[in-house]
Amino acid sequence: MGLSPATRIIAILLLILLPAPLIIVIGASFSPRAVLAFPPPGFSWRWYLEFLGSPAWLAAFGQSAIIAVVAAVVTTVIAVLAALALDRAPARLRSAAETAILAPLLFPHAAIGIAFLGWLSMLELNGGFIGVLMAHLILCAPFAYRPVAVSLRQIDRSLTEAATILGAEPRQALTRVVLPLLRPGIAASLLFSFIISFDEVTVTMFLIGPEFTTLPVSIYTHIHDSADPVVAAISSVLILLTAGLVLLIDRLVGLRIFIDIEEEGRQAPA
Amino acid sequence: MKAGRLALFAPMAVLITAFAVAIGGLIWGSFTRGGVGLYVDLLSDQVVLRVLWRTVWISALTTLFCVVLAYPLALFLARSKHRNLWLILVISPWLVSIVVRTFGWMVLLGVRGVMNTALRDLGLIDAPIRILFTPTAVLIGLTHVFLPFVVIAILSSLLQQDRRLEEASRILGGTRWQTFRRVTLPLSMPGVIGGASLVLLMATGAIVTPLLLGGLRDRMLGTQIYTEIFQVFNFERATAMAVMLLVIALVLVAPLRLLEARIRQAQEGV
Repeated sequence: MGLSPATRIIAILLLILLPAPLIIVIGASFSPRAVLAFPPPGFSWRWYLEFLGSPAWLAAFGQSAIIAVVAAVVTTVIAVLAALALDRAPARLRSAAETAILAPLLFPHAAIGIAFLGWLSMLELNGGFIGVLMAHLILCAPFAYRPVAVSLRQIDRSLTEAATILGAEPRQALTRVVLPLLRPGIAASLLFSFIISFDEVTVTMFLIGPEFTTLPVSIYTHIHDSADPVVAAISSVLILLTAGLVLLIDRLVGLRIFIDIEEEGRQAPA
Repeated sequence: MKAGRLALFAPMAVLITAFAVAIGGLIWGSFTRGGVGLYVDLLSDQVVLRVLWRTVWISALTTLFCVVLAYPLALFLARSKHRNLWLILVISPWLVSIVVRTFGWMVLLGVRGVMNTALRDLGLIDAPIRILFTPTAVLIGLTHVFLPFVVIAILSSLLQQDRRLEEASRILGGTRWQTFRRVTLPLSMPGVIGGASLVLLMATGAIVTPLLLGGLRDRMLGTQIYTEIFQVFNFERATAMAVMLLVIALVLVAPLRLLEARIRQAQEGV
């Protein structure tokens, strides 16, 4: 069935508007003067050099990167273990467990932020690496779990049966058959949780402290006080990093995974 | 073997428990420390009531805009031969940090921003239009931030549809509009409702976008919570507001969830 012209026009306008603010930020970052303008009144790397010369910005960048890498690796391991545990579990148990894993998606972030703040202050963990990491692990869990669960479900059962019939121990069947086939799911899970953690701001802004902050939260604080082109330069770095990761997901797994996990989420009862 | 397999779930169970304790602690703490009197105070405060109302209407309108705009785009993507290419344009902005995307809109909408400069250069306006720091800016920003969620949700349910149903409708003499209205749209309702409830939930709990685009006057519940904590240092009030936020999100999303379940049942019955 063909599409009506109105549908096409709206779609194409949106395909332009969705990336537009980001393109403008990248453009404005090359301004030689201290004004945010697009198109920029000239061209210079000035604000990028300022970013690279600022210990505070670099520290925030480094801390964000460390948190995101640790959160991605740890949640992916936890997600793979959980998916394997639930793979053969009774349907009821499994759907209850999946609802619990996906629960953080069902709560408004402002409320989650306050909840963690209260709880971490009680444990005297707020304002530091461990507190932010714990929050990120919980927030990443749904995003890490779904790609792995989808991949696991797509594996042909007869392959593991064949391995077992041919004399493989359960452990061998797992490491030699199941895990290699899970590789796309694991890759998607790692990249997803990295992105979620690296970009998270709404919950994290409640949990940072004088010694520990993340890049998106620093950007937020900086914009709140003064919006100069250095923020545009840092934002451009973030945009290009994210776009690079999206292309990586496309190459390694295929963007179809975003649609598949959506389907999966809808089939799981909420 | 079986018990051993379920033991793999233990690390995930730790995350789930930590989340449950945080949310439980939030609700419990708001009653033990602040007491019911705190809620009575809040609900008789004109400022708070106005913030609540603003949160509800801005979230509802954002959701409506997202659905109305996302549908044509999802339809376009579902039918396009170059879907993967277009998906990059939808998914990359989606995964860039909210704070960066909101910053892009500040550059676009500001008094000396891209839009005002362009309009003045074209001779269309004399004085700059004031959009930044109004509810309109918040609506634009939130719609942009959440649109991709809905696009992916609707796209996923469009791709699941059996295209032959549409063909059948056309062959039997249905017009393009009738086919859409009676076949395509009803079959994609689970995606529409799923996407809509996600946006409603996230919009009610948003902080960064309303704070940066709406300014300090037109607060939403999320921004009010943030101010209570970091400017007024009133943790009790912030906690009680977070609980109110949970209730609002639940009240807004529950009817959509029920509708979704009913539609799914009806469609499985066919």
